[in-house]
Amino acid sequence: MRNKRMFLFEAARGFAAILLALAVAVIFIALCTDDVGGALEQMLLRPLFAKNGTFNANSLWVVLSRMIPTIFTGLAVCVMFSANQFNLAAEGGVMLGGFLATLVGIYVPMAAGLHLVVCLLVGAVAAALTMLLPALLKVKLGASEMVSSLMLNYIIMYVVLHFLNNNFADRSKGSTQTFPFLQTAAVPDLVPNTDLTWGFVIALVFVALVAVFLFRTRWGYAIRMIGINQAFSKYSGMKVGSVIVLSQVIGGFLAGLGGGIEVLGRYSTFLWRELPGYGWTGVTIAILAKNNPLMVPFAAFFMAYLERGCELMRTNAGVPAEMLDIIQAVIFLFFAAEQFLARYRQKLVVKGAREEMKQAFDSEAAAKGGNA
Amino acid sequence: MWEQLFEMIFKPDFLFSVIRITSPILFAALAAVVAEKAGVTNIGLEGIMSITALFGTLISYWTQSWAVGVLGALIVGIALALLLGFFALKLKTDIILGGIALNMIGGGGTIFLLYLFTGLRGNTGELTTPEMLIPQVNIPLLKDIPVVGEILSGHSLLTYIAFFMVFLTWLMLYKTSLGLNIRAVGENQNAADSVGVSVVRIKYIALGISGALAGLGGAYMSMYYSRSWNSGMIAGRGFIALAAQAMGQGEPTGSMWSSLLFGLANALKNKMEGMQGMSSYLVASIPYVVTVLGLVIYAVATIRRVKKTRRAQNAMTAPAGEEK
Repeated sequence: MRNKRMFLFEAARGFAAILLALAVAVIFIALCTDDVGGALEQMLLRPLFAKNGTFNANSLWVVLSRMIPTIFTGLAVCVMFSANQFNLAAEGGVMLGGFLATLVGIYVPMAAGLHLVVCLLVGAVAAALTMLLPALLKVKLGASEMVSSLMLNYIIMYVVLHFLNNNFADRSKGSTQTFPFLQTAAVPDLVPNTDLTWGFVIALVFVALVAVFLFRTRWGYAIRMIGINQAFSKYSGMKVGSVIVLSQVIGGFLAGLGGGIEVLGRYSTFLWRELPGYGWTGVTIAILAKNNPLMVPFAAFFMAYLERGCELMRTNAGVPAEMLDIIQAVIFLFFAAEQFLARYRQKLVVKGAREEMKQAFDSEAAAKGGNA
Repeated sequence: MWEQLFEMIFKPDFLFSVIRITSPILFAALAAVVAEKAGVTNIGLEGIMSITALFGTLISYWTQSWAVGVLGALIVGIALALLLGFFALKLKTDIILGGIALNMIGGGGTIFLLYLFTGLRGNTGELTTPEMLIPQVNIPLLKDIPVVGEILSGHSLLTYIAFFMVFLTWLMLYKTSLGLNIRAVGENQNAADSVGVSVVRIKYIALGISGALAGLGGAYMSMYYSRSWNSGMIAGRGFIALAAQAMGQGEPTGSMWSSLLFGLANALKNKMEGMQGMSSYLVASIPYVVTVLGLVIYAVATIRRVKKTRRAQNAMTAPAGEEK
C-alpha cells in the first residue's frame, strides 16, 4: 500500500516537473509572440491532432519515427548510468555506428536480409569497442570517464568527417555525403511511404531485451549493484572492473545500433556533418525513465512529441524551435531533483508509517482480545 | 612539411597565439579548480561560458561599453553557478545532471535567447562595434624587448587578468580562511561540519567563484577572441578545462600548465589547418586527443605516486616491526 502511494507520488512529482517546464515555456512563448494560445496549440495538440480536432495518423508516424534513435540512446545511457558511470559518449557512438553501417551498406554487397544485419552489427560492434577507451581508462587508471567520453565524442566526429570528406564523399552532390547505400541495406518501412520503419519494432524488442538483461540476469544485477554501492559489490566478490567495462560496451553497442538503424532507415546516404544530438536526448530520456528500460519508450515518446510540437510551433507560430532545449533543461533539473516536493513525500511516509502502526496495534489488540 | 611546421612554431607570433588561445581555457580551468576543491564537480562550465559569452555581448551592445559587458558576464556567470548550486545543494539534483542541464541551455537555449532579445539567428556579428571589444594592452618597457615583448605584450586585458587569477586563486585557496574552509569541505565535509564550518555555504561560495571565472572566460570568447557571439563557439572548451583541472592535479599552477598545453595543441591545430597535405579534420581533433593523452599521463603518474608513497610507508614500518 505504501509502495502504491509512493508510486503515485513519484508520478505526480514528474507531472509537476513537466507542468513547471510548460509554465516556463508559456512565459517564453509570450515574449516571442502575441498569440500564445495559438502557439501552445501548435506545440501541445498539433503533433497528433489536425486543425479540426480529428486524429492525424501521419503526424503520429512522424512522432513515432523520431523515437527510433532516441530509444536506443536512452537504453544505452540507462545501462551505462546504471553502473554509476557518467559516460556521455552515446553521441559519438550513434555517429560512428551510422557511418560504418552506411559504408558496409555501400561497398559490401550481400544477400538481402543478411546485408542489413551485417551493416548494423558492424556499426554497433565498432561503437561498442570505442567505449573500451573511457571504460578501461576509468577501471585501470581511475581517469574520469565523463571527461574522456566527452573528448571521445569530438574525436569520433572529426575522424568520421575526415573519412567522409577525403575518402568516401560523393563529389557529384552539392553537399558532403556518401554515395547512396544499396537497397538491400535499407531498413524497410513499417508504414509505407513514411519515416516509420521496422527500426521501431527492433527498438521495442531491444527495450524488452535490455529490461530482461538488467533485471533478470546475473550481469544485470551486478551492474545495478555496482551502481548502488561499488565498495559493497567489491567486497561481496563481484568483478567490479569487468562489469563496469561490460556495461559501457553494451551501452556503446546500443548507441551504435541506433545510429545504424537511423541512417539506414531514414536516409539513403550518410550526410551527418556534426554530432546528431541523439546521445544527449538519450541522457534526458534515461533520467525521465529513472534508468528503467521499460519506461524508456514512454520517455522517448514524450521527447519526440515535444520536439515535433516545437517544430510545428516554429513553422506555424514563429517561435524558435530551440526553445525545446530550455524546456528540456527545466524538466531535467526538476526530474532529477530528489528534494523537489520532498516535504510531501515526508508527509506521505509519516502518514503511511502511522497507519501501519495503527494497524499493527489494532491487530495486536484484536489478538489479545481473542486470547482473553 | 615538418620543416615548415618547425619554422612556424619557433616564431614569436606562434607563442603569442598560444597565450591568446590559452586564456579562456585557463579561466574555465581555474573555475573547475575552485569548485573541485570544495568537492563539487562543475560540468556546467561549457554551458555557463556559452551563456555568459552571449550576455557579455548583449550587455556591451546595449550599453556600448565593454567594461559593463564583462561585468555583466561575470554576474550572469555567478547567477548561473548559484542556480546550479540551488538545484544540487538544496533540491539534491545530481550535480552532473544539473551541469548537463546548464549545457543544454548553453547549446540550443542561447540561440533562442538571442532571438528573444534581438531577433537575430545564431550569431551577433552585425552588432559588433569597437566599443564592445575588450581592449588590447601594450605593456610599456616590456613591449620594446625583442621576441619576449612580441610574445607577452599586446594581449587582451582579460588575458593578463587570467594569468593573474592563477596567483589570486592560489592566494585565496592557501592563504585565506575562506580557502582553508573550501579545502576542508572538499577534503572531508563531515569533519569540516563538525568544527562548525557551514558546508553548504562554502559550496555556494566556491560555485559562485567558479561561475565568475567561467563568466570571464565566456566574455573573453565573444568580446575578444571571436569578436562576436555565435552558437557552438565554446566548442568543448568547458570540457577541456575539466580535463586541464584533472591533469593539473586540481592545483591552480598545475592547471595553468595543462591549460597552456591545450592552448599549444589548439594553436598547432590552427597553424596546421592551412597546410597542404594535412587533413583539416584530423588536425581539428588534436586538442581532444591531447586531452585524453593528458588524462592518461596524469592518471598513470598518480598511480605511481600512490605506489611510491605506499612503498615508502612500508619501508618505514617494516624495520619498526623487526625491532619488536
